Amino acid sequence: MTRTRLSRVAAVGGALLIAATSLTACSGSAGGTSTGSAGADWKLTTTTAKPTGDIDSFSFALYAEPATLDYAYAFDYPDNQVLANVCESLLRLNPDYSLSPGLAKSFSNPDPLTWVYEIRDGVTFHDGTPLTAADAVASMQRIMDPSVGSAWFSVYQNVESITQTGPMEVTVKTKIPDSQFNQGMGGSAGVIESAATLAAKGKDYGNSTGGVNCTGPFSLTQWKSGESLSLERYDGYWDKDLRAKSAKMTFAIIPDATARVNAMKSGSVDGSWQIPMESAPQLQASGKGDVLYAPSSATSDLVISNVSGPLGDKRVRKALMMALDRPGILKGASQGIGEISDVLTTKLVWGTATDAAKKTAFDDITHYKQDVAAAKKLVEEAGATGKELVYVTAPIGNDFSVVSQATMAAAQSIGLKLTIKTVSPAQYTALFSDPSAREGVDLFYTVWYLSSPDALEMYGVLRTGDFSNYGGWSNAEFDKTVNEAVGTMDPAARSALTAKAQQIANEELPWLPLATGPLPLFLGKRITGLDPSMAFLYYPWAAQIGKR
Amino acid sequence: MSTLRRVAGKLGGLLLTLFLASLLVFFSRFLVPGDPIRFLLRGRKPSPEAIADVTAQYGLNLPPWEQYVRWIAGVLHGDFGRSLQFRQDVTAVLGDRLPVTLMLVVMAGTIIAVVGLVGGTIAALNKGRASDRGILISLTVLGAIPSFVGSIVLIAIFSVQLGWFPSFGSGSGFWDMAYHLVLPSIALAIVFIVLVGKVTRSAMVEQLNREHVEVATSRGITRLAVVRRHVLRNALGPILTVSGVLVAGLIVASSIVEQAFGLSGIGSLLVGSVDRLDFPVVQAIVLLVVTAFVVVNAIIDILEPWIDPRSAAGVGAR
Repeated sequence: MTRTRLSRVAAVGGALLIAATSLTACSGSAGGTSTGSAGADWKLTTTTAKPTGDIDSFSFALYAEPATLDYAYAFDYPDNQVLANVCESLLRLNPDYSLSPGLAKSFSNPDPLTWVYEIRDGVTFHDGTPLTAADAVASMQRIMDPSVGSAWFSVYQNVESITQTGPMEVTVKTKIPDSQFNQGMGGSAGVIESAATLAAKGKDYGNSTGGVNCTGPFSLTQWKSGESLSLERYDGYWDKDLRAKSAKMTFAIIPDATARVNAMKSGSVDGSWQIPMESAPQLQASGKGDVLYAPSSATSDLVISNVSGPLGDKRVRKALMMALDRPGILKGASQGIGEISDVLTTKLVWGTATDAAKKTAFDDITHYKQDVAAAKKLVEEAGATGKELVYVTAPIGNDFSVVSQATMAAAQSIGLKLTIKTVSPAQYTALFSDPSAREGVDLFYTVWYLSSPDALEMYGVLRTGDFSNYGGWSNAEFDKTVNEAVGTMDPAARSALTAKAQQIANEELPWLPLATGPLPLFLGKRITGLDPSMAFLYYPWAAQIGKR
Repeated sequence: MSTLRRVAGKLGGLLLTLFLASLLVFFSRFLVPGDPIRFLLRGRKPSPEAIADVTAQYGLNLPPWEQYVRWIAGVLHGDFGRSLQFRQDVTAVLGDRLPVTLMLVVMAGTIIAVVGLVGGTIAALNKGRASDRGILISLTVLGAIPSFVGSIVLIAIFSVQLGWFPSFGSGSGFWDMAYHLVLPSIALAIVFIVLVGKVTRSAMVEQLNREHVEVATSRGITRLAVVRRHVLRNALGPILTVSGVLVAGLIVASSIVEQAFGLSGIGSLLVGSVDRLDFPVVQAIVLLVVTAFVVVNAIIDILEPWIDPRSAAGVGAR
């Protein structure tokens, strides 16, 4: 996916807005294992105790109803965390963010323009019909269909054709060498649905009327609009290792953060992803379960949305970065849980990178320290003292207000005039999709997560002219590096190029990285077994959960 | 007959009101900033063909008046279009959520009517005494508690502490739903009880001082019969009028309570849909609320002469 832009946009656009409280929580985390710089007491958890046996049922709370379970549109936390347990992709994104074979038992890349997927034998859909290559072709072509308007279209933007080249073989041809297409096959873009079901359900496919018919460890049995979704173990599931350990599970939709926390404290629900960070102490104290912190692929950033204004000057961007009290932001926005970040990705998405590339990407970079005097001088040098900036925010979460106040303080301290404009969540979302909404806006805050296990996903969106390059930032060397990386099939060689792109972005600051934080979740005392990870959006995590 | 003509006149007014409301409801969406298609494509880089295709699917490429004609024609056939956020027929989206809100409004309405009427009546009959003041003060205090605060307090005491009632969800089946909605309906009702209680009290106090009541009392009719036949019945007019106004208020206020109790009803749907520019759903709900309000008030207008023949005779209150 040359430019997987989408991922985070979604996060931002859809999820953040709605999620408000929960999002606060998800200010992303690097795969770092250290404790927070602000001194809060927390650690990353990547595994939990194996279950002692099966369980009849358990429930998880969602902060919002999934808009859809149609993989072509599912691009938000509630949608994807449900879908991940019901529908499966050609590849599987594992909790450690590695990719392994999924519904494709193997794949190959015989030449740079060709990807061949061998479909797994003996897999059946929830209605009992067998999976074939024809289902894969229909499912994938659907994302490219303009009348569908899929959220995942960009993964397929370089695809020339998708054809069935054998009873169990699918061949994808791309127009240019695209290493990112295959990386996207572990997410929603690679989901395979029964072709017959797609045809039969038509427009109601994936909504609460039509439902889905996939191959995952759970099948969808009931979708009570606005209230709950019920899943049931699929006994015909192909992967013995991920057979669901619970006969049933329920997602309870509880939009109000207090109500959600109450439901966990009273034991009415057994867990939830993205719990509000400020509720962690009381949940832990309730004795009803454990608060865990999972590695995340998200960073919180300030998006520079106008390079023709004062922030078009690199020195001013750098000065703002140096003036920001990022430890203070971390403390105010997420109780000090997380780490300062000088780059836009977390270590979680560097799994296939070489050690040298990781060193380049995370050590051989500029670590910005707060230095107001030096920052002020930079602004003077740039002749930007007294210039005006417009910052747009929305009443979405505690982190939004903390960051806007911190940015205001930073700008004032270096002689810039910052105006904060508060808009509705819907208008804020428009910043990410509608160029006219960004007119006259210099910067805004976002939490951006990556859906593919490749850091290149992040830098793809910052190339000149890309849809999500909101400020219109342009750097020839950066573009060249990223384009070369996209065309590089070898993960090691690609990681070296991506690391270089990260260095450039760290130096040029097209966006200002603020911090990364873990993904907080609550696991009730009745259950255990899951491997906490940001991959909960695509990996069948609920199948792991059994009796504690 | 004058009754028939009056009813026909009311119905005509009703239809005109609904028509004007439909115009307002439909065209107000054009004042809202934001492109629904951008939302539909969820903010990601769409291909130009996809934008054009999806725009046409939802009829957004047509001139506004043509969109209105198509919409209103659909509405008259019970088709409110398709929800942008759920990619589902609006009727299905509403149909799933309407029972909860209706049940909630009916239960809250019953609580308001019973507590308000009883409280107001007792206060009126004890006018000036301690019980009168006690009832007035408690109703006023309750009326000052916002629904969301009431919800939090009720959940904290009866769900989290005592565990008597569930803290979220609407249950399944009629009785389970009624049980789940006990706390939400109380939270919704408390604000409105004061209105009905105070109107009942003042209307009855006014009647109690009337000559016909004194006459009835002096003729030795029992207190109970006097209150029932001569006081309460005459006081019903203003009480009904207030109740009519309450209907719309209840539906709108239910959004707050629904959010707090994690109920999936029309109110919480409205809030969510406004936020996501899901205008077909917003239009349907607003039209529904307006219709409910207008119809209930029309019914009250029409019924009033039977309850209080003086109003038909144009004698007025005296």
